[in-house]
Amino acid sequence: MATTTASLTITSSDLVGDALSLSTTKELHKAGTTTGLDQTTGMAHVYLTATTKLDIFPVLPAAPAGQNKQSWVYICNKSLDETEFITVSIAATDIGLLYAGDFLWMPWSQIAQKADIEVTPSTGAAAAGINIEYTCIHEGITYPTSAD
Amino acid sequence: MAIINATITMSSDVTGYNTSINKLMTMTKAGTLAGLDQATGLVRKTLTSTNEVDLLVVGAGVVADVSATKAAKLYIKNVNSDSSQYFTVGLGKASAGAAKQAFAVADDVNRSVEIGRLYSGDWLLIPWVAASDEHDVFVKPSVSTSMVIEYMVFFE
Repeated sequence: MATTTASLTITSSDLVGDALSLSTTKELHKAGTTTGLDQTTGMAHVYLTATTKLDIFPVLPAAPAGQNKQSWVYICNKSLDETEFITVSIAATDIGLLYAGDFLWMPWSQIAQKADIEVTPSTGAAAAGINIEYTCIHEGITYPTSAD
Repeated sequence: MAIINATITMSSDVTGYNTSINKLMTMTKAGTLAGLDQATGLVRKTLTSTNEVDLLVVGAGVVADVSATKAAKLYIKNVNSDSSQYFTVGLGKASAGAAKQAFAVADDVNRSVEIGRLYSGDWLLIPWVAASDEHDVFVKPSVSTSMVIEYMVFFE
C-alpha cells in the first residue's frame, strides 16, 4: 500500500498579538477508509502564454468512475512577479486567485460533468508567460472519451 | 504589514520514484508584496445535522471587506477521527436558500459547486475570491452525529 503524507504549517509572528503557529499532518486515504491512495497524474510543469481558460483536469463524463472516490489537487503559480496570477476555477465557478508563489491544496470530487478544474492566466501573466505546476493524487480518475 | 507563511510538505511513494513537494507561500495582498494583515481567528464549530452550513458569506460577517480584488486564503480541517465521515466543501449562493441547485444539475444562477470531501484529519488551503454571492463557502456533514470542523481565513 502506498503512503502519501501531506503536512501544512502556518506561522506568523506579527499577524496577531501573540505568535500564530498551526501545524497539521494527514496521510491521504481512499474515501472512507484508512487505505492509502495509490495513483497519481504525476507533477505537470507547464508554460502558458495566453489568457485562455484551460482544463487541467478535464470535464468528466456523465458517470465518472472516480465519483465518490478521493482525489487531492495541488496547483502552484511559479511566477516571481507579484502582479501575475492565475484564476483557479471548478465547473466554471472561480475558487480563487493564485499570485506569484502561491499554492493550493484541496480535495476534488469528480462530480459528473460538473467538476473540471480550470486555470486562467491573467493578462500580464500571459503576456510574459507563466509557469505553473499541478498534480493530482487519487484512487481513480476518469478521463473523458472521444464521445464525451 | 504582517508576514504569514504557509508551508506545505508532501511525500509519496505512489510511484516507483518517490515524489515530494516542499513549498513555502508568504500570503500577500493581491498583486503586491505586502502581507495579508487580517484573519478570522481559528474557528471551531460542532455540527449536528446534515444540513449545509455557510462558513463564508460574501460581503457579510467578519470577512465583509473581502472583495473580488482582494486576496484571501481559506484553511479548513475536519478534526474528527472516524475515517468514514466527511464534510463536503462547496461554493454556492447562501441567499438562494431552498432555491439552491444541487451539484450535478444544469447550469443555473443558483447552482452550487462541490469542491471536494474532507475525511477525518483532512485539511485544505485554497485562495478565495469573493466575487459574488455565488462564491459563498459552505460545508455539509455526511452524518448528523456530532462532527467538528475548524477553519480560518486570512485576508486583506
